[in-house]
Amino acid sequence: MTGVSERGGGGALGGLGRSTGPATLILSSLADGAKHGYALTKDIEAFAGERLAPGTLYEALSRLEGQGLIEALESEDRRRPYRLTAAGAQVLRAHLEAQRRVADLGLQRLAGGWSPA
Amino acid sequence: MTAPCAPQPSAPQPSAPQPSAPLVRQARRLLRCYPPAWRARYGDEFAELLLADLSEHPHSWRLTADVIRSGIAARLASAGLGGHPLDPATAARASLATAASALAAFLVAGATLWAQLTTGWQWAPPVSPVTTMAMLIMSGMMGLFAVLAVLAAVPVIWAAACAGHAGAGRALRAPALLLALSALVLVVGGRHFQNGWPGTGAPWWPRQHLVPAGVAAFAWACTLPVTSYWAHPAALASFPGAEMAWMTVSPAAMLGVVTGAAGLVRRVTLTPRVHRYEAWLGRAAGAVMGAFLAAALCWVTEGGPAPRGLFHAGVIDSAGIAIMLSALTVGGQALRRADQAGGPFVSTNPSLQGRR
Repeated sequence: MTGVSERGGGGALGGLGRSTGPATLILSSLADGAKHGYALTKDIEAFAGERLAPGTLYEALSRLEGQGLIEALESEDRRRPYRLTAAGAQVLRAHLEAQRRVADLGLQRLAGGWSPA
Repeated sequence: MTAPCAPQPSAPQPSAPQPSAPLVRQARRLLRCYPPAWRARYGDEFAELLLADLSEHPHSWRLTADVIRSGIAARLASAGLGGHPLDPATAARASLATAASALAAFLVAGATLWAQLTTGWQWAPPVSPVTTMAMLIMSGMMGLFAVLAVLAAVPVIWAAACAGHAGAGRALRAPALLLALSALVLVVGGRHFQNGWPGTGAPWWPRQHLVPAGVAAFAWACTLPVTSYWAHPAALASFPGAEMAWMTVSPAAMLGVVTGAAGLVRRVTLTPRVHRYEAWLGRAAGAVMGAFLAAALCWVTEGGPAPRGLFHAGVIDSAGIAIMLSALTVGGQALRRADQAGGPFVSTNPSLQGRR
């Protein structure tokens, strides 16, 4: 078994640099089942309102696959589906929880004290 | 093999619309932005998605720019210069090959400058002490380049010979043949034309007691195509046909040497120890390149506008400095990546294992 740490990926989405945003969207999309490229873009567009361009999508897919966070499944046609690995699920959960803490804090502070100058 | 996440339901997935023939051609053109290994791995599925997007947005410059940008990123990763490579083992070799290619580009530009200076010195010493010192440093660094090249070539040639002996040298034949033939053309042609130009052909070791006249003339002949004569077609037309042919053939031979050597480095299997040794030699070559460049800069900036015969610095020499600076930058980046690659000499990507 090849874990994330063995690949030098650091196990965190922060290690993806400029691909962190697309990586979060891709992993979140794969969290409810395997999808191929076209289905991924449609799903992400539906839940995030953002259309990932093909170059950006496959740049992120290649990185995530290299880091062991997703894996390609065998397919009989040209469209190869990808699914989340256990390591990918763990990294996504940690990343989203960290984001939720930031979001909760920001919302609390907005509700508590902010007013237009 | 990574363990899959919890069992996931396979939902019906949306299908892309059927594309038209012009869009298929456009997608094929865009796909060429990516390196062959990337196309072999992702090409089919990527083309399908690209066609779907092109069908919905046929004139989108953002889409085209996105593909070109990520294609360049994939090519840089493939050359061992950055990004996230498909296969770390291949990328480690690619980094070394790119560093070697950058060094070769540096050497061609540097040898052009140095051959001009050292040929001039065969007949008259430079008037300026700065040019004299720059010349001495550049000659010393050229000698070090030759030593480093031999030290770097020996283990690669040995590994290639071992692979050939073990019956695994099939993939090495083409680059080895290209390297050998190109080197032969360069040596034979350089020797033939080395004394056919004004300034070359001085007696052996006459003045500077540093660089043999034959070596200077040979370097001059090999770098002959790097000349401002190309901007003066009338003067160029008066050259003998054989020399014109050599000015066309020698760049091809130099390119063949570099391509063959880089191809050999990319294909030959080096042990982690040899990889570290080659990376160490690369860093030593980087220091030598830096010293050579500093000396060349001193000469070009100090050269001045006065007529100084073969010591006069012209546009070609300034362009040579720019090329050397670029080569040093690219080579340094490739060596940093080679160092980061460290030891992953076994492919970690199951889909690429066993592939060259």
